[in-house]
Amino acid sequence: MKAALEIKNLTKYYGDILGVKNLNLELEKGEIFGFIGPNGAGKSTTLRCIMNLINKSQGEIYINGILFDKDNTSLKEIVGYLPSEINLYEDLTVQEILNYHQSFYKKDLSKNRNKLVKLFKLDENKKIENLSLGNLKKLGIVLALMHEPEILILDEPTSGLDPIMQQTFYNLLLEEKKKGTTILYSTHVLNEVAKICDRVGIIKEGNLLKIESIENLHKLNLFYVTIISEEVNKIIKELKLNKYEINNNLIKFRNTIDINILIKALSKFKINKLLIEEASLEDIFLHYYK
Amino acid sequence: MFKREIKINSKSFILWTFILCTIFLVVFLLYPSLVKSDNIKMMDEILKIFPEDVLKSFNMDISSISTAFGWLQTEGLMLIYLVTGAYAAILGSNLILKEEDDKTIEYLHSLPITRTKIALSKIAAGLIYVVAMVLFIGIFNYIGLIVNEDINDKTFFYLSISPLITSLVLFSLCMFISTFNRKTKTMMGISLGIVFGSYILNILSTISESIEFLKYFSIFALADTRNIIVNSSLNPVMLFISLALIIILLVLTIIKYNKKELV
Repeated sequence: MKAALEIKNLTKYYGDILGVKNLNLELEKGEIFGFIGPNGAGKSTTLRCIMNLINKSQGEIYINGILFDKDNTSLKEIVGYLPSEINLYEDLTVQEILNYHQSFYKKDLSKNRNKLVKLFKLDENKKIENLSLGNLKKLGIVLALMHEPEILILDEPTSGLDPIMQQTFYNLLLEEKKKGTTILYSTHVLNEVAKICDRVGIIKEGNLLKIESIENLHKLNLFYVTIISEEVNKIIKELKLNKYEINNNLIKFRNTIDINILIKALSKFKINKLLIEEASLEDIFLHYYK
Repeated sequence: MFKREIKINSKSFILWTFILCTIFLVVFLLYPSLVKSDNIKMMDEILKIFPEDVLKSFNMDISSISTAFGWLQTEGLMLIYLVTGAYAAILGSNLILKEEDDKTIEYLHSLPITRTKIALSKIAAGLIYVVAMVLFIGIFNYIGLIVNEDINDKTFFYLSISPLITSLVLFSLCMFISTFNRKTKTMMGISLGIVFGSYILNILSTISESIEFLKYFSIFALADTRNIIVNSSLNPVMLFISLALIIILLVLTIIKYNKKELV
């Protein structure tokens, strides 16, 4: 089966500066894919290349197996895009921009439009220039979703949204997923990824480092061990640790030893406190970035 | 999209047309009393003192300012060229570039419409406004003139449509140059520089034969107003060159806009 969205050998240079290098990614229909990385890692560049907003140095984008270039308007009709910074015509009211948006699509969008406006409690009579950051984001979400796209490209969609609206938005995305919408979700808020994504791609300095399912990330068996003991130096020697954080009598390290062997080894020492914890998504993220 | 282009550019169209019409209205209201006084004849006499080359620059060697139509053929026409030219140049500069400057281009490009269609909608709206301005001023002037005097209708018609040639070339040229720019402020300076630079070059080229070649660098020379006043016809060569320039520049605009990297 053809991937709903396929990025093939995507490379983008801004002059001599690397944006993204040789990025390959396939998203299945109905999948929510988290695209995570810090600022400047190349997330927005990738998304803008997918949308053909900037020219690619190399590579292609395929939607349902069909090449998606900037003139393919029939594919554009099934893609929804929410940029991280929303810039709309400030002279228009919310109602006018929604009408304007609707005029570009062949099908009738009124039903979905009304549903979304109601869901996000948007005042259609307000001028865009008078909208708060949060309301502008909500309008951006409505514009990205009102034509019921099959593919959704979202760039930091929840920035500026209050927690209640964030939850509304997550629920909406899960509903979309059920309908079969494929979502590429770029963010640096990791708990969002844990909540709604099926898989995650970690990008650093323009390179896609790892693609993993959320389930597998948790199954990575990444455990952190924290020990408080007066014999920390002896413990380090016994466990042959290379990487660890030490602070007086406290030592913290990522465990790579079988848990039974670890307990057996530690039983030889006088331990004041022992904490063995599963790595959070933040820890996993930092693990890839260190 | 075309409707929106028409709507957002309507205010500037009304403002520019209103200013130009107000100037002409004042002239038409003042001229009947001026003509009756001896001052205007004195002015004509005084003008004869000026070297012929200077008079030639303002078409004053082939027409007299003793009538409103005479004034229109000299100073009035130049004012129309300058104002419609400046309007067309600014309009051409802003149509696409403003979307980039306001960063609304990202939204526009994410919609199911090709860049060619975007450019064509903007070009169509721009052309309509430039043509509308020239026609409106032409009709306004015709009404203003026939109230008080007899005019040569054929000459008036060609004179009235001649700003179309210059303003449409300026519109197309500035639109094309705007595809190389990123900021509307920079482009505003460039477009007005082209209009006034072109105007000055045209004036200079008529002063002395040794610098006549300067007219090849002036867009205003394309209208060839001397030919219209003397022969009551448009210069077909200039008309062909203008049309070719407009088409080439607009096609290049579309091609360049399709390839343009947006930041």
